[in-house]
Amino acid sequence: MLDLALATLLSPVILFFLLGLSAALAKADITIPEAISKGVAIYLMMAIGLKGGFEMAANGLNLKIVSVMITGVLLSFTLPAIAYALLRTTTKLPAIDAAAAAAHYGSISIVTFVAATQAIELAGLNNAGYLVAVAALMETPAIMTALLLAGRHRPKSQNGETGLIREVALNASVVVLVGALIIGWVTGADGKAQVQGVFITPLQGVLCLFLLEMGLSAGRGLRHGWRLLQPATIGFGIYMPLISASIAAVFSALLGLSAGESALLMTLAASASYIAVPAAMRIALPEAKPSIYLTLSLGVTFPFNLTLGIPIYIAVSQFIAG
Amino acid sequence: MHTKLRLELIIEHMALNRARTILEDAKLTGYTILPAIAGFGAGRRWRSGDDLSMAREKSVVVAIGDETKIETALRELHKLLESQIGVVSVSEVKVLRDERF
Repeated sequence: MLDLALATLLSPVILFFLLGLSAALAKADITIPEAISKGVAIYLMMAIGLKGGFEMAANGLNLKIVSVMITGVLLSFTLPAIAYALLRTTTKLPAIDAAAAAAHYGSISIVTFVAATQAIELAGLNNAGYLVAVAALMETPAIMTALLLAGRHRPKSQNGETGLIREVALNASVVVLVGALIIGWVTGADGKAQVQGVFITPLQGVLCLFLLEMGLSAGRGLRHGWRLLQPATIGFGIYMPLISASIAAVFSALLGLSAGESALLMTLAASASYIAVPAAMRIALPEAKPSIYLTLSLGVTFPFNLTLGIPIYIAVSQFIAG
Repeated sequence: MHTKLRLELIIEHMALNRARTILEDAKLTGYTILPAIAGFGAGRRWRSGDDLSMAREKSVVVAIGDETKIETALRELHKLLESQIGVVSVSEVKVLRDERF
């Protein structure tokens, strides 16, 4: 496991993330223009979606894949309830902040997922393209659970409701990811041959650029937001992914998933959203403080998963799969 | 020159569309939206592009109109700002063409 952890930590992608993180913490003046980072984010969604679609076209849809999809949706619905209960019992966060933070832990981080796919390939395990579809399915159910948990704090105005539904259903990450997945699935091997020069071969390099930006973003969030987080809340940002991954590991064993599939499902469960859910929370639970939930998901959980979490999930999945 | 009121609203991105609807419903149909680059609020510095979720992005909306229209908008904006992040201010300004406002 130590070898795997070192190989993951010393990959260019993770090193660029650490460069961005340390540069932001040291207050270095590095800024990637907003238009570039947003463009790169859309590129990554397209590349990941297409890659998953091409693999689904090659392997087809079967009962196991449908079972994993249902498991992903169930995890997304239930993990926020566990996260909420833990936050309410172990921290002094108000109910509304706890509900908003909990939603992030049922949804997913697509960049963590991509980093895990790279680590899985590095470990010599089989990648499972259909898990991109599972990732897309896990983006939004957590938001619904958070709204149920927050209950009476939900805004009553019709405008807010309409805005939330639009934000959740038409969030760029969901639309582009699902759209690219379908395009990849429909076009299959022919489509892959046409776009691989843009969307497959350069993916690693573009991911380095994006993770530099994510490191900067996480570092800035930590620098400004850490005072708002109690030690117990920071601890939650580290142990919650491990709990989520453990639950996913149990499901993986029950479904008889391969080590690669299991590691990716664990990573999806363990990752926390920092794009779709924060935007939805500003509409659905505007009283919740973004400084708390964004710092927690982007500043604590995201770096943890990238550096230590992924090697742990791969090692556990290898152990489970025998 | 003609005296009018200038409404300036700093509003978080996720509530911008609702603010626009309020202004349009109040017949303030000549407003302009400017990007907010950086600032300080709620005990921390913020900067546009700090995160990809747009959850902390803000815009500045400038609208000029007569007192009736501005007051109509202010009543609804007050309700909106009970839950969403924003700052509203009104000042007296002089305009050249009265019929435009």
